[in-house]
Amino acid sequence: MTPAYQLNDIKVAFEGRDVLNIPSLSLCLHQSTALLGENGAGKSTLMNLLAFVQQPCQGQIALLKQTVAARLSSEQRRRIGYVTQQPYMLQGSVRDNLNLALRLQQIPRPQHHALIEKTLSLLNLLPQADQDAATLSGGELKRAAIARAIVYEPDILLLDEPFSHLDQRHIRQLETSISQFAAQDGKTVIFSTHDRLQAMAIADNSINLVNGRVTSAPLLNLYHGQTQQQLFNTGKLLIHIGEADDGARHIAIDPRQIIVSEQPLQHTSVLNSFAGRLTQIAEEAGHIRLLIDCGEPFYAVITPTSLQNLALQLGDTVWVNFKASAVSVF
Amino acid sequence: MEYFADSFAAAFALIVKFDPEIIRIVVTSVYISLSASVIAALLAIPAGVTMALNRFNGKTTIQHLLNTLMAMPTVVIGLLLYGLFSRAGPLGEWGLLYTPTAIIIAQAILIFPIMMNLTVTAVNAADPRLIPTLKSLGARPLPMMLQVIRTTRFAILAGVITGFGRAIGEVGAAMMLGGNIEGFTRTMTTAIALETSKGEFELGLALGMVLLLIAFMLNFLLSILNKAKS
Repeated sequence: MTPAYQLNDIKVAFEGRDVLNIPSLSLCLHQSTALLGENGAGKSTLMNLLAFVQQPCQGQIALLKQTVAARLSSEQRRRIGYVTQQPYMLQGSVRDNLNLALRLQQIPRPQHHALIEKTLSLLNLLPQADQDAATLSGGELKRAAIARAIVYEPDILLLDEPFSHLDQRHIRQLETSISQFAAQDGKTVIFSTHDRLQAMAIADNSINLVNGRVTSAPLLNLYHGQTQQQLFNTGKLLIHIGEADDGARHIAIDPRQIIVSEQPLQHTSVLNSFAGRLTQIAEEAGHIRLLIDCGEPFYAVITPTSLQNLALQLGDTVWVNFKASAVSVF
Repeated sequence: MEYFADSFAAAFALIVKFDPEIIRIVVTSVYISLSASVIAALLAIPAGVTMALNRFNGKTTIQHLLNTLMAMPTVVIGLLLYGLFSRAGPLGEWGLLYTPTAIIIAQAILIFPIMMNLTVTAVNAADPRLIPTLKSLGARPLPMMLQVIRTTRFAILAGVITGFGRAIGEVGAAMMLGGNIEGFTRTMTTAIALETSKGEFELGLALGMVLLLIAFMLNFLLSILNKAKS
């Protein structure tokens, strides 16, 4: 299968610090992919690279199997639509912005009217079509920027934190718009978010970024610290880990691998047992999510039956148990 | 004191009566400086935008050079061009010395660094998202330049007006290359300098008032542009 993007040996540094370090990454064509990570994880930098508005310090990016030289060709540029985290609208109305995008992308003039009307209606922007772009509200501005990015019908749509600073109603509207675009034949959507649940809800795949590195580890139960032989020191807890090189600075523990008990487990293979206070019980997609404060916060996922059996109450002291092999080190 | 007051009254009368000589001098001045501004702007704006949009070796050196040239004394430009345009000079056969064209060239050279520098500053002060947005929308170099100029037009225009103000107020180059020939190369500044030394104080004073009025109007225009920018 042709990947939309193939990244090799990518490095971006800023003021001597590695912002992005990706030895290899492939992003699927015709699918939606969520780019997950905390603030400062390098999501926007990666988005800028994928949109080719920023150059990596090192490495190559292939777009649809073609390695891109210093500049994209007009044809390659037309295949990508990019919406930044805080979109910038050019002077004039929403319609003027769409019109300019079509002109810059050299789309034949007779097609302009039909494309603009179709896009405005897809994003519910017909009432705002002739409004000055500078006077749009936050939600309208996001949708107008998306309209501008898809009016020339790109194959790939890149959205950097499309849901940030929006209220629930606008988030729903935007999710629908993105899903509608992704549902069209052969469209690829890549968006970044720090909301893991949202990513799981609307994306086919997800990629986790931690401090500029891609990791397969889930981003819940993520801790930063130092490796000391077979132990990882988070500053508050010493956690047993498997084999790891001393340079590793992060660990993550899959919430499903955590066993919650009222007493410490007496099993020899479970090296990590920490007592903590139960601070949150929430339902999530048919499962129960617990938040336990053991000095470091631990998320655990259990079944509703286990919740009944354990008869847990907020404020209870419980034990968090997991094997050293359940810890991803990177 | 009486002499001063009388001269003021006489100068004022010259302006109010639309004295033909004054009109001729003002028109010559405005024509020369406006031509120089248009020529300089046509070269400086694209050069400034190109410089602001691109990263290249020697950019900082050019920036320093522009800053230095902004403060170049007008008589130095007059001197250099005099050397080029005088009979014995390399361009002597063009016969440009003591023509309005010579002053236009000199003033254009004088204000080019000002306009270019202020264009660079205008583009650098634009929203940092402007260029990546245009890039992501597929703008090639020429449409990119036109859009950037469109977005920063008020700030760029302010640079052009500043350049015009410097051109119309300079005296060194106009004197050395124009020669203050009546009805041909006599500008407001050369007239003030030479007519006053000939004892025609009223004429000098009248022209000085017009010059101040032009300076005031330019400043007024700049403040309107500044408001429009924000």
